[in-house]
Amino acid sequence: MAKKKSNKLINFVTNPKYIMVLATIGIFLAIYLFGAILYGDKGFTKLRTFAMLFVDNAYIGISAVGMTMVLITGGIDLSVAAVASLTGMFIAYGTTVLNIHPVICMVFSILVGILLGLGMGALVTYLKIPPFVATLTGMFLARGVCSLISRDSISIDNELIDKMAGWKMYFMTLKNGEWVKIKPVAYINLNVVMFIVMILIGTYILQKTRFGRNVYAIGGNEQSARLMGLPVDKTKMMVYAFNGFCSALAGIAYSLYVKSGWNLALQGGELDVISAAVIGGVLLSGGVGYMVGTFFGVLLKAVIPCLITFNGTLSSWWGKIITGLLVLLFVALQQIVMHGNLFKKKKKTAPATKKE
Amino acid sequence: MDRDVILTMRGIEIQFPGVKALDGVDFTLRRGEVHALLGENGAGKSTLIKCLTGVNKMDAGKIELEGKEIRPTDPKNAMDMGISTVFQEINLCDNLSVAENIFIGRQPMKRGQIDWKEINRRSNELLERFHVHIDVTRPLSQFSTAIQQMVSIARAVDVDAKVLILDEPTSSLDSDEVKKLFDVMRDLKAQGIGIIFITHFLDQVFEMSDRMTVLRNGKLVGIYNANEITKLELVSSMIGKDLDQIFDLKRAAQKEDAAMMLEANHIGVPGKVEDISFGQKKGELLGFAGLLGSGRTETAEMIFGVTKMANGDLKIAGIPVKIGEPMDAINHKIAFCPEDRKRDGIIGDLTIRENIALALQARRGMMKPMSRKEQDELADKYIKLLAIATPDAEKKIKELSGGNQQKVILARWMATDPDLLILDEPTRGIDVGAKAEIQRLMLQMCEEGMSIIFISSELDEIIRCSNRIIVMRDGKKAGELNGENCTQADIMRIIAGEKVGETA
Amino acid sequence: MKSKESIFKNKLTWAVIAELLILAVAGILEPGFFSIEYNQTTGMLYGSLIDIINRSAEITIIAMGMTMVIALGGTDISVGALVAVAGAFALKFLRWDVTLYPTPGDYTVYPFILVIVVPLIICTLMGLFNGVLIGKFKLQPIIATLILMVAGRGIAQIATNGKQFTTGYTPYRFIGQGSLFALPFPIIITIVVCVCVMIFVRKTAFGTFVESVGVNPNASRVTGLKSDRIIMIVYTLTGFLSGIAGLIYSSRISSCDSNNAGVNYEMDAILAVVLGGTSMTGGKFSLTGTIVGSIIIRTITTLVYYFGITSESIMAFKAAIILVVIVIQSEPFGKWMATRNARKQKAGELRG
Repeated sequence: MAKKKSNKLINFVTNPKYIMVLATIGIFLAIYLFGAILYGDKGFTKLRTFAMLFVDNAYIGISAVGMTMVLITGGIDLSVAAVASLTGMFIAYGTTVLNIHPVICMVFSILVGILLGLGMGALVTYLKIPPFVATLTGMFLARGVCSLISRDSISIDNELIDKMAGWKMYFMTLKNGEWVKIKPVAYINLNVVMFIVMILIGTYILQKTRFGRNVYAIGGNEQSARLMGLPVDKTKMMVYAFNGFCSALAGIAYSLYVKSGWNLALQGGELDVISAAVIGGVLLSGGVGYMVGTFFGVLLKAVIPCLITFNGTLSSWWGKIITGLLVLLFVALQQIVMHGNLFKKKKKTAPATKKE
Repeated sequence: MDRDVILTMRGIEIQFPGVKALDGVDFTLRRGEVHALLGENGAGKSTLIKCLTGVNKMDAGKIELEGKEIRPTDPKNAMDMGISTVFQEINLCDNLSVAENIFIGRQPMKRGQIDWKEINRRSNELLERFHVHIDVTRPLSQFSTAIQQMVSIARAVDVDAKVLILDEPTSSLDSDEVKKLFDVMRDLKAQGIGIIFITHFLDQVFEMSDRMTVLRNGKLVGIYNANEITKLELVSSMIGKDLDQIFDLKRAAQKEDAAMMLEANHIGVPGKVEDISFGQKKGELLGFAGLLGSGRTETAEMIFGVTKMANGDLKIAGIPVKIGEPMDAINHKIAFCPEDRKRDGIIGDLTIRENIALALQARRGMMKPMSRKEQDELADKYIKLLAIATPDAEKKIKELSGGNQQKVILARWMATDPDLLILDEPTRGIDVGAKAEIQRLMLQMCEEGMSIIFISSELDEIIRCSNRIIVMRDGKKAGELNGENCTQADIMRIIAGEKVGETA
Repeated sequence: MKSKESIFKNKLTWAVIAELLILAVAGILEPGFFSIEYNQTTGMLYGSLIDIINRSAEITIIAMGMTMVIALGGTDISVGALVAVAGAFALKFLRWDVTLYPTPGDYTVYPFILVIVVPLIICTLMGLFNGVLIGKFKLQPIIATLILMVAGRGIAQIATNGKQFTTGYTPYRFIGQGSLFALPFPIIITIVVCVCVMIFVRKTAFGTFVESVGVNPNASRVTGLKSDRIIMIVYTLTGFLSGIAGLIYSSRISSCDSNNAGVNYEMDAILAVVLGGTSMTGGKFSLTGTIVGSIIIRTITTLVYYFGITSESIMAFKAAIILVVIVIQSEPFGKWMATRNARKQKAGELRG
């Protein structure tokens, strides 16, 4: 019985499907340990520091959930940051300038996000336009509309939004029979809750629903998926719509985080989101990737600037360079996994599975 | 009305821009029969299948499944009605597990969630029926083509299929695997499933099928019972040409006193081919026989530098040479028409002219471009010489038929005026007429002094054309035969591993 | 009949017609649009047309390389970051340490030749880095160039310690602001670059090789082409060209701006290529088309300014244009048009 269990474990670890995710978790733990040894005395290991990783990066994480799904289909979406920025603008302009109830603004933003997603999805699915170009168009459009609304940063002045942004769940500890906040104070906010819920939803969709499995099949081989009778077009449309939803949600999270809307907000944010997913082990050629990987990808990407802050002497720009190097590392790893021994097929199978 | 009939197609007509792809074709399939669908490329076989699976819409005609008229709208719809297809190229997702490939799109659900345990359990059961014992949770990509093919069939059958279409299922299998597949087909037959079997291999047609339907140019030529027709008659009905015209080929004369062209000494790449030695004279046609994966293609790729040679050495015209890249081989006047035309041969979006000029240009190097006039002359010359069917040289090569594409690739290499031409399966997947033309050309070039290495799976064409034949088995040279006086049986004995005295 | 067909099938023709239409609109809206004046004191030609070509210089130069990148079936999204890198290193060599040379002025710390050559070498090496990843290690172009897109601006920032400096050094300012033969100097650079690239591509077999590798890298290798080397050359060239564009940009503003220099240049360059008729899926390409494409982008930008619309909102217009172009270029649309034409022709024949 025990032997069977260990076999199962070996099977799990050597299964190429999981290697990328395991690598992400491993590297995250290694870097975290590294930080703990170097800066443990400065408070790097405190729960507060860890919680702040989530609080400061939740909006990236929310967007990465949708991006993961798009990447698994073999697509890419460059519009996420622009759509999030547009959402922020809708909320700021709507609540503060037009005095519309924030819930209406949020619902409207989400609808716009989904519609934009559907539009780009239609370009990709029905007009066979490369996803990169189609979503670039979406990005231009969203940024352009954003600037048409306002060129200035608008700070949000709304009671409900303040309440939502101010909601915090503190980590407590039992001291002398009484629950007290731990010191230094550590908390998570609404954004973190949204991030974790979205990761769970994403995992459920990908692993437990037919739709999710179709996403993987399309990324593996779209032609085959079609011939196996899977609803390829519908699935792709839904994936882009879901990603639009995630972008809008990320935009809401971002506006709760900074409490303002600005047309140039989150510029280059799409790269943060994509690189988080890549570092999380999502294969850019499609077909492989896990939400849990993306989750750790976001954390791994977040812990680097945190380390640089703790160091205190390094320029914050090293964060970008290290992120670039991490992406390089993971892409190299992907190449090895894909073309190395693990996924290697006997030569004669190659022609049968190649794409036209 | 025959009660045994599952499927009838009557008066099927499909119009493509400019051509009538199918013109009043009838087809019937009985319960528990293997029915071969035959014809040259472009005869309309795949169009008929696409019509049956709803990929192509028919312009006229009627399809009845178990007496009820149906109109499939797409493959899924056809599948739901009980018509399953296994395509030539394996159409599964190799990033998914074996089990998932069998059940995707129709996974068993439990409380609104996919029931993974059930999927794995049922996949195991299903594959065990096919005598395939593997870990179904592993990605499909880790298994051989034969296993993938079985998985493909398992998926097709498990959807409660009444009609199973097998489109060239054996083209990438070796003989053991083919045997296994045929066993499965017999099992399915016994269960009352009607099987439509499409293949290029006539032996297999006679081994497996009960009846045959032959199409030519979109029209029905005839329906035959397998035991009432000879191979020759079948071929002539497929191509509609005089048989003499096809089989009237004369082997190039053996040149005993010619100089050595190529000498290979113990060449090999560990794990692929090992310790291959042979010599080839000028003007000699050297055949390479053997099963798929026996090392024929690998040897050719090694000589041409597509894969790097790890051991051994090569001599060309008596001089030792080093070949690490295709460019080196080209510089030594070697040419290579690869097996996989689509992947390694044609540059689809470029014109016929550019495709023909490419290898010569590559040899000349980037800095010495060929003028447009030079290219035009070259293209026109070969279009005429090889009778490439095209209105002009400016047509994109991907718009040509398979046989004509093959001729363009051949022209590309003839333009480099090679001393040694390696042809890997040059006649695969092209129609019988073009096949004969390519064989004729080969022999003619040998006659003019070119050395040719000819790799083919079809023993009769190897025997017909080669001066000498090298037989490969399991990555090693298993024997060498003289082309003049050997039979298919001789080759097969060597492939099968029986000892045969070298006759060469 | 045949020649007429081929003229209208040619995407370049459509690009030129589009440009002429936009110019016509501009001419109607603003009668003085086409006037070009010669200024005696500066010795330079002035006018909207000159301005359009002058301002399109950076994108045109980058797009020359991008055309071949796209013909190879790839993309290079690092070009904008390389523009920032070039500017940062040029200014670094002009000023070196701002604490030692606190005021900008008409001087350079290192010889002018280094100011020009070092940034170009760095950008070329970065292009080579992209090329090696894509050609040798077979990474997907978008992800390989993503690495430098992310890291490049970081490198630029570190080169200048995250500061933005300006320079008053006349020879350097001449690159983007001077004039030669009465034309703004960027136009001269653009002409020289375009002619050189075109000679390199079309007077050798390089262009055909690029197209061949773009369509089928496997087959190209078997035919004797060194695919990985061709890929590396193209990305390296694009890096070099981005460097030139970076120098022009930084000279125009007499400073470096690692955050904002070259933002969205990759998008504009890709747009220019696509407008010029080169398909995103790779294969055949047209350098002339790309030049026209780049000029179209600039003309529209100028026109949009004319309407008093802010520079950021131009993106919305660009989006609309790309949308139209990619829809027209897309395969399903082409098929739909073809069947429609066939039907029309058939109807015509029946009537005839």
